Amino acid sequence: MNTPALRIEKLVKRYGATEAVKGISFEITPGEFFGFLGPNGAGKSTTIHCITGIATPTSGTIEVYGVDVVKNYRAARSLVGFSPQEYNVDIFSSTDAVLYYMAGFYGMRGADRQKRIDYLIEKFELVPHRAKRFMQLSGGLKRRVMLARALIHDPKLLILDEPTAGVDVELRRELWRYLQELNGEGKTILLTSHYLEEVELLSRHIAIIHQGTIVAIDTKEAFIADGSTLEKKYLDITSQSRANAATQS
Amino acid sequence: MPRHNRNMNTAGLYTLIEREIKRMFRVVVQTLVSPWISALLYILIFGLVVGSRISSIGGVSYIDFVLPGLVMMNIIQSAFAHSSSSVYFARFTRQIEEVLVSPLSYMEMIIGYTLGGVVRGIVVGIGVYAIAIFFTVATIEHLFLFLLYATAVSAIFSLLGILVGLWADGFEQLSVLSVFVITPLTFIGGVFNTTEMLPPALKIIAHANPFFYFVDGLRYAMIGFSESNMFVGALLTGGLLVGLLVLVQHLFKIGYKVRL
Repeated sequence: MNTPALRIEKLVKRYGATEAVKGISFEITPGEFFGFLGPNGAGKSTTIHCITGIATPTSGTIEVYGVDVVKNYRAARSLVGFSPQEYNVDIFSSTDAVLYYMAGFYGMRGADRQKRIDYLIEKFELVPHRAKRFMQLSGGLKRRVMLARALIHDPKLLILDEPTAGVDVELRRELWRYLQELNGEGKTILLTSHYLEEVELLSRHIAIIHQGTIVAIDTKEAFIADGSTLEKKYLDITSQSRANAATQS
Repeated sequence: MPRHNRNMNTAGLYTLIEREIKRMFRVVVQTLVSPWISALLYILIFGLVVGSRISSIGGVSYIDFVLPGLVMMNIIQSAFAHSSSSVYFARFTRQIEEVLVSPLSYMEMIIGYTLGGVVRGIVVGIGVYAIAIFFTVATIEHLFLFLLYATAVSAIFSLLGILVGLWADGFEQLSVLSVFVITPLTFIGGVFNTTEMLPPALKIIAHANPFFYFVDGLRYAMIGFSESNMFVGALLTGGLLVGLLVLVQHLFKIGYKVRL
């Protein structure tokens, strides 16, 4: 049996008295395009932060390709590329510098490093913008830089937290094309998005998290098997979950 | 594929240090020119104007006596300012996440930020020394000891800067330690006077001030004059360095104010 690209087992994350993630478990198989949905504050970003090392899990296990993200954090982090929802870069740095530093942090050096930077700059059509400071770029270009940065070390698992937030329709479609291409090349992708048509188009498996709990997980086909749309199904599931929570309390 | 061996991500560490050094040169007026101008004024006023009325201290002219203190004061302030602002702003802008998600060990992260402060401290210190050459002999009698003290003390204050950069939740807090602890203790740590010049009660206090040993150690390295027990100074410096390193590493490991 193949080692899962991502295995989360009974993950709990508490912030003081607030339990943001309540013992969730799921797996993503290698090469999967996995949609991770949920309303604001449901626990999506918290889960992603626990995978990437930005947050410390309170309890539970997370493994990336069989590597524990806490016990063997360095090896696990070299397998993951992360594009966050918010721009966490030095805004005074140029596009080139953002990629150069990140490549270095991942242990890349010399000609390999420069070759990879040049490749991504070209792939994401950033050539005319490589010397510009990050703060001078448009929203769409910033998103491309974030994506290029996440891919700098050619990770096996790519995690994208709202990668198309705030970008226009044209660029969104362009980014979809990039993501489909990457997934076609065998990269495992975990995507969160509030654009349900985006998740429906790109993902093959989908999980819905609500109030820190996975309330549905299945193939995309199973979600829309009754002729419904993902959006309708999502709204049904989250409102049902809300009603259940209200009954229990 | 990225290359870093199991034990050490040398390329990652080098990159972090490189980024810190470039950050220093991005605001060169603030990081280098400003302390050098202050030092020049100190040399002119305290060394030449006031110093001309003082015959000698410890067998050397007043300016030669004051210079090691000025060098050490600038090393301390620059190293602290560099790492505290670097860590604080990296937290504030969430840029620290770039480092957190990468395969750098916690010790490599700390070494990277610390060496950024050390480099700035030493560059500023050497600059102050170079300025002084125009006004006095500015000797260095024990070069190895000079480099050892300059590096060790700048590392101590760089680590302290990381602590404050982690702890601070606002710009006010960022300057608290500098204003209320570092500057006063440096000034009463024997930069401008010997402990012999102090009243007996203050003399005891001066010997309990760790800054006195830092200044005195560098003074011995530069002009061969010392008032303290060098063994106590070395023990204190080494102890503080190791203690702070252990503390900062623990804070990085538990993610104190850097991880959610």
